[in-house]
Amino acid sequence: MIRVEELTKSYGEVRALDRVSFEVPVGQVVGLLGPNGAGKSTTMKILVGFLRADAGVCVVDGRRIDPEDPASKEPIGYLPETTPLYPRMRVAEYLDFVGSMRGLARASRAYSTARVLDDCDLRGWERRRIGTLSKGYRQRVGLAQALLADPKVLVLDEPTSGLDPGEIARIRALVQRLGETKTIVLSTHVLAEVQETCRRVIILAGGRVVADGSTLDLAEEEDVELHLTLGAAESGVEEVLGALRALAGVRAVRRIGMDAGRVALALAVDDRWSAAHTISSEVQRRGWRLLELRHDLPSLERVFLSRTEARATAEASE
Amino acid sequence: MRGVAPVFRREFGGALASPVAWVTTVVLVLVLHSAFFFLGFPVGDRALPAFWTGRTASLDALFAWLPLFYAVLAPALTMGSWAEERRAGTDELLFTFPVRTRSLVLGKFLAAWILLGSITTLAILPVARLVAGVGPLDWGTVWGGLLGAWLLAAVCTSIGLATSALAREELVAFLVAAVLLLLLWSLGLFVRVLPGTLAEVAWYASPSLHFLESGARGVLDARDLVYYGLFVASGLTLNLAVLEGRRWG
Repeated sequence: MIRVEELTKSYGEVRALDRVSFEVPVGQVVGLLGPNGAGKSTTMKILVGFLRADAGVCVVDGRRIDPEDPASKEPIGYLPETTPLYPRMRVAEYLDFVGSMRGLARASRAYSTARVLDDCDLRGWERRRIGTLSKGYRQRVGLAQALLADPKVLVLDEPTSGLDPGEIARIRALVQRLGETKTIVLSTHVLAEVQETCRRVIILAGGRVVADGSTLDLAEEEDVELHLTLGAAESGVEEVLGALRALAGVRAVRRIGMDAGRVALALAVDDRWSAAHTISSEVQRRGWRLLELRHDLPSLERVFLSRTEARATAEASE
Repeated sequence: MRGVAPVFRREFGGALASPVAWVTTVVLVLVLHSAFFFLGFPVGDRALPAFWTGRTASLDALFAWLPLFYAVLAPALTMGSWAEERRAGTDELLFTFPVRTRSLVLGKFLAAWILLGSITTLAILPVARLVAGVGPLDWGTVWGGLLGAWLLAAVCTSIGLATSALAREELVAFLVAAVLLLLLWSLGLFVRVLPGTLAEVAWYASPSLHFLESGARGVLDARDLVYYGLFVASGLTLNLAVLEGRRWG
């Protein structure tokens, strides 16, 4: 549904995007993550036909995005970061304007307006001037205009930014529901939002894609530690540490806790599945009392920090 | 062209709903009428007496003021057209709708032009009726003058729109457009004292002068239409180029 290929964009001397490529199949909800200045908004602005790229292409629904080709922009609904609206217009009047701009006939505009008023919980607010609405309601109007022409692709730039928890939950639920039928690209700084709403994450840093995959896949790619808890007296701990360090596939062992008759260890390993097998065999062979052996997948936050910091380090050395 | 009609409706409706636009228009129309009745046009070698002093059934002094009237009103009506969209960020959404940029420009141009033309018509016709009541007014000159006024309004609107596209702030857009229109008007003051070629350049560069020597006298021909048409097309092309340039960041 979306194909972004070698997208490159500079603002003067600053390179905002550097050969960014990714694809999003039909019906997938993708979270676009990255620190400030990573290139998320620029990617989105090119994707929706607001900005032109210096090089590279965006193809949506089989058609190359060109700001001067109206048909190429038809499948896309867009909610910009700041939710820009016309404060003097009334909600229904604004949606009718958007419908006209999207080429909907009068009857179709009326039908679509009614549908999005329901979808975005805006019933009863049609006659209100947009300038008098709270931020949450303005955000709903912004979403309503993005949904008006029932687009195949939704591009949402920080849709919950600055909202109260109730509004955030409402908009997340709406995005989740929309994700059942639409392809969605969602940019946000809130990692929990991505985990809750997105099947896939693309992390940008320094204008490049530094990670692309499901949250589980990305976590799997990170270094994983095994956590081992054994029943052991303090006097025997050194022997345990020495034996574990000698095992193949175990890079390092550190003690993370010790109390009456128990020692908790963290083991850096090459491959957690084979290491777990080796360790459990060793524990059994030596007759140690195994209380717990587990691995914790790194959080999305850790993945995010690890990937973006790695990119920052690479940039500094370039 | 998709997008022209909704942009036109939004812009035109927005202007009609704006109290500031109404107050500005009413004040400027009152100033124009006062100048016609009590001041005449005391500028340059085209000085004309006030209606009550000259006692001739003519709208010449009213038409003579129009370029200056437009130098203030056209920028006032167009200053927000792009600058306000840019300041509020609404241009970002506007440019992602499935319409061509030229449709947006045309919609905004038509709204501001028809508004300015309508204000002119509403400002001139009541005065024409009043003048016709006290003397033999040449209505052919009035209608010709109005047509010329609409053409001049188109030029001023296109210049106002282009400066609004260039400026970040409405006030800057207003000032730049007003100064530019005043400069174009002031060329007329120098035409008679400039040497041959320069005078010709000034003549061609000043739509106000064109208006005063053709439309305002009720005389318009195809050359005038081409002249105004080219001026408007240049303004709109500049407008389009500025907006397109912004897409490159």
